[in-house]
Amino acid sequence: MTLSILLQLIINGLFTGGIYALVAVGLTLIYGVMLILNFAHGEFLMLGMYIAFWAFTLFHIDPYLAALLAAVLVFGLGALIQRGLIQHVLSSHPLNQIVLLLGVSTLITGLVQFFWSADPRSIHVAYETSVVVLLGLRFSIPKMVAFFGALFIAIGLYVFLRATKTGKAIRAVSQSRQAALLMGINVNWIYVLTFGIGTAVTAVGGVLLTPTYTIIPTVGQQFAVIAFVVVVLGTMGNFIGAFLGGLIIGVVEAFAGYFLGGDVKIIASMLVFILILLFRPAGLLGRKPG
Amino acid sequence: MSAQSQVLGVKKPARSWLRGLLLDWERTQLVITFTLMLLVAVIGLLFPSPYVLGILILATLYAYIGITWNIVAGFAGQLLIAHVIFLGIGAYTTIVLNDNFGISPWLGIPAAGLVAGLLGLLVAAVTLRYGLKADYFALFTIALLVSLRTLFLKWQFVGGALGLWLQLGNTGWGNMIFATKGPYLIIALALLAFGVIVQYRIYLSKMGKYLLAIREDEAAAAALGVNTSLYKTLAVVTGAAMAGIGGGFYVMYVAFVEPPQVFDLGFNVEIVMASPIIGGLGSLAGPILGAFVNKPLAELIRGMLAAQTSGTTLIIYGSFLVLSIMFMPRGLAGVVHSLYLRLARRWAGDGTGGS
Repeated sequence: MTLSILLQLIINGLFTGGIYALVAVGLTLIYGVMLILNFAHGEFLMLGMYIAFWAFTLFHIDPYLAALLAAVLVFGLGALIQRGLIQHVLSSHPLNQIVLLLGVSTLITGLVQFFWSADPRSIHVAYETSVVVLLGLRFSIPKMVAFFGALFIAIGLYVFLRATKTGKAIRAVSQSRQAALLMGINVNWIYVLTFGIGTAVTAVGGVLLTPTYTIIPTVGQQFAVIAFVVVVLGTMGNFIGAFLGGLIIGVVEAFAGYFLGGDVKIIASMLVFILILLFRPAGLLGRKPG
Repeated sequence: MSAQSQVLGVKKPARSWLRGLLLDWERTQLVITFTLMLLVAVIGLLFPSPYVLGILILATLYAYIGITWNIVAGFAGQLLIAHVIFLGIGAYTTIVLNDNFGISPWLGIPAAGLVAGLLGLLVAAVTLRYGLKADYFALFTIALLVSLRTLFLKWQFVGGALGLWLQLGNTGWGNMIFATKGPYLIIALALLAFGVIVQYRIYLSKMGKYLLAIREDEAAAAALGVNTSLYKTLAVVTGAAMAGIGGGFYVMYVAFVEPPQVFDLGFNVEIVMASPIIGGLGSLAGPILGAFVNKPLAELIRGMLAAQTSGTTLIIYGSFLVLSIMFMPRGLAGVVHSLYLRLARRWAGDGTGGS
C-alpha cells in the first residue's frame, strides 16, 4: 500500500465520515436532552433524501438548495411527532419509547413505499462525477461539498448551543431537567425544539448525500445503525464525541472497504461496536464506565 | 372439611374448583389462552380453506414468537429489540441441515434452538454485563440485524442473495412436509402449547420473580443479592433458543428463506413485537390475545385496501404499535384484567356475602 493510497483512503473516509458525524450529532443531541433513543432517526434522513429528489425532479431545484426546504419541513414533522407522540411516553419504560419510535419508523417507511413505491431513485446533476485532482489525490466534488456542508452545519449548531440563550437552555435541560425547570426554562418547548433540530440536521445530511446515493425507502436504516455505533463510540450525549466518532468510523469503513470489499464495510462498524462495548463502554470521551 | 368452613363462618361454594381457578388471574389467563387455541382449532376444522388455515397458522406462530420475546422484554424488561435475528438464524439452521445434510427437521428444529441459544449467549455476554447501559443492548441488537443481513447476502454457502428453497422430499410427518395446510396448524398449535407452558412455568418460578424484580428496579434487585447478569442472560438465552425453534418451523412452513426477509426490521415489528404489544407486554395471555387479534385484523385491512402495493403491511403494523402505546399501554390483557377484577370482586363478594 503506497502513501497515496493511504492518504486517498483517509480523505474518502473523512468525506463520508462528515455525513455520519452530522447524523450522529442529531441523534446524540436528542439523546442528551431527552434521554430517548431515536429509533426513527434513519427515516428522517431518508425523508431528507426524498425531499431533495422531488424538489429536483418536479421543480429542478438544485439538491444543495433543497437542504433548506428539507430542514424546514423535517423540523416541522419532527416537532409534531415529539409534541403529539413522544412527549406522552417520556416518563414510560424505555421499551415503550423504543416500540413507539419503531412504530413511527415503520409507519414512515410504509407510507413512503406506498405513495412513492420501493423503486430505487437517483438524481443526476452535472457535477455528480466531477473530481479535483490535487497532488495526485482525487477529491470528489459532491462528496467534498457534503463534507464541508456537514462540517459547517455542525459548527453552526455547536455555536448555537454555546452562545445563544436558547442553546444554553437546551444544554441546561440536558444537564438537569429539574434545575432547568426551576430556572424558569420551558422544558417541554426545549424538547420540541431539540427533537426538531436533531431530525432537521439529519435530513440535511440526507440531502447532502443525494447526488451520490441511490434512494430507497429503507436507505435510512444503514445510516441509523452507523449513527448508533458513532454515538456509543463518542460517548452518548456528547456532541464533540459524536462528531469525532463519525469521522473515525468513516475512515475505518474506508479501510475496511479497501481490504474487504465495499459491501461488507458495515461489518467493520459492528466490530468497532463490539470492541467499545468490551473494552471502553463509556466511549472515547466518557469518564465513568457506561 | 365442612366443619372447618363452619368455624370460619364461610359457606363452601358449590363449584369451588372453578371459583379457585377463576379467582387466580394467572390461571384465568391460561384458561383464556387455551380457550383461544381451541377456538382456532375449531375454526380450522369448520373452514379448512387454504386462506383461512394460512391466517390461523401464522397467527399461532406469531403468538408463539411473541411469547419468546415476552419472556425477555415483558418479564425481564430488557431492551431486546431485533429479536427476529434469532428466528432468522433458526430458520437458516433448519433449512441448511435439511438441504445440505439431509437431516430431518425433527432434529433440525431443535438444532435451530441450540444455535439461536448460543447466539443469544454471545449477545448477552457482550452487552449484558453488570453496569453497562441498557440502551447499548437495544442499539447492539439492531446493529447485529443489519450486519447479519449483509453477511448472509454475501455468504454463498447459505444461498447468498438468492436465498434457499426447501428441498422437498416425500410428503408426510417424517419430513414435516405436507400437501395440505391442516398438519401445519396442528404443529403450530403444539408449538404454541409448548411456549405457553414454558412461559407459565418461568413466570411462577424463582427465575420469574427475579426477572420481574430486575424489570422494576435492577439496582435494587442486585442489592438484594439477585445475580442480575446471570438471570438476564438466562432470559435472553431462553427467549433466543425458543425463537430459533419457531424459526425452524417457520422455514418448514414457508419453504424459503432469504436475508432481507428474516433480517428485517419491518418483519421484526410484525412477527415479534405486534402481538405482545397489542396483547399486553409482560402478561401471560398478552402475546396470544394480541396475535389472534392482529393477524386477522391486518388481513382484513389489507383486503379492504385491496392493495398488493408494497408498504401496506408496514403502514398497518406501524400504526398498530403507535396506537397501542398511545391508547392502550397495558394492551388487551390490561383491558381484560380490569374487567376481570370487577367480576372477581363480585364473585368473591357472593362467597362471603352468603353467610
